Amino acid sequence: MTLHISEVHLRAIEAHAESHYPEEGAGLILGDEADERREAREILPLPNRREAGERGHRYEIDPLETLAAEDQADALGLKIIGVFHSHPDHPAAPSQTDLHFAVPWYSYLITSVRSGRAHESRVWRLDVSESGMQEEELEVRSGSERLSGDSESPVASGGNSAQQEGP
Amino acid sequence: MSRVRVPTPLRAYVAGQSEVEVGSASVAEALQELVERYPALRPQLFGEAGELRPYINLFVNDQDVRSLRGEQTPLTDGDRLMILPSIAGGAMPPGLRGVDHNALRANQGSIIASLLAAFVLDAPGLAAGVGATMLLGTLAGKIGFLPVYWVLRRLRLAAPDILPDNPEPHRFSQGLGAVVLMGGAAAFVAGAPGLGWGLVWLVIALASLNLFGGFCAGCAVYYWFNRLGLPGFSQAPPPGAFPGRRPQPPVA
Repeated sequence: MTLHISEVHLRAIEAHAESHYPEEGAGLILGDEADERREAREILPLPNRREAGERGHRYEIDPLETLAAEDQADALGLKIIGVFHSHPDHPAAPSQTDLHFAVPWYSYLITSVRSGRAHESRVWRLDVSESGMQEEELEVRSGSERLSGDSESPVASGGNSAQQEGP
Repeated sequence: MSRVRVPTPLRAYVAGQSEVEVGSASVAEALQELVERYPALRPQLFGEAGELRPYINLFVNDQDVRSLRGEQTPLTDGDRLMILPSIAGGAMPPGLRGVDHNALRANQGSIIASLLAAFVLDAPGLAAGVGATMLLGTLAGKIGFLPVYWVLRRLRLAAPDILPDNPEPHRFSQGLGAVVLMGGAAAFVAGAPGLGWGLVWLVIALASLNLFGGFCAGCAVYYWFNRLGLPGFSQAPPPGAFPGRRPQPPVA
């Protein structure tokens, strides 16, 4: 499985991670999936609802936020394909805690933030045996092919067409 | 009839549907009805012992069933049972917390410098003051010389070095140092300055071993008490770390 993401979206995820440093920031990735290809279409930064002293090394998204995000994805003809979160001063690899809470099927994009600067982003997914997480490919599309400067109201035009910005 | 809302990761097990209608009268019955109709869904919802998987949250309409009657929560016509994935995680292994080792280093450096100054100036009162600062810090659950670290941070001479660790052994270690210095103060009062300075030098030596050698002797004592099962010493050493050794930083 490869997660395709635009440079604009990845940059937004990394900026979100930097703005939450030294705490962990998190959110959901909306998109679609066909064959061995996942395409991120929208990113949805959400509050980390862990208590203040814990947010430096833990994150949790309110299930009702997840529900609202699913409704939003349904309305856009998309799915929640994954989760992004940051690891302040830790590598962009899943921890035991990430593994413990990992939901099968989702892609988990982890951004390592070092001294306030996004350092690296990698994508992982729970393997079939559920005993570990396997790294997946992350393919970053350059430019802002789709967003055309309007990141707040994506909607309607998206539909289900995974190839709309293809050559 | 009620409806069960199925999250994206589980839709493949219910023929791609986002909602399934059920005729059950409770949450538990609705889940049973669902897995009987879609057997492939069972291992996704339940573990081998029949317990709900840890990443599953159940809501009836917009209320968590844990705040209602759990899986016995009744369902009435038109209710929506939401199966919602629990989205959580984080950098630190379970059980451990982030401990800023540069704050600890600033504390050790302050203790060493102040005690050396006390010895050079022949000022037992200063050594007793260091002990009192450490004692007050320990009682407050903090690092005694934390303000020094704040100043260093403000001057950008120090940055956090957060490692997965237990804060309790470090607090215990500081308390142990404070008790030794209090013993030294008592020796001075009792007219035994040789013993007093000996105890001051013991604290200097152990703080130096910690600062320069990365070994916290007080933490090792704490973990030893933990192994003996002494009440109040509930934390075990971080996995893979020798008791008292500074935990390894995560590799990028």
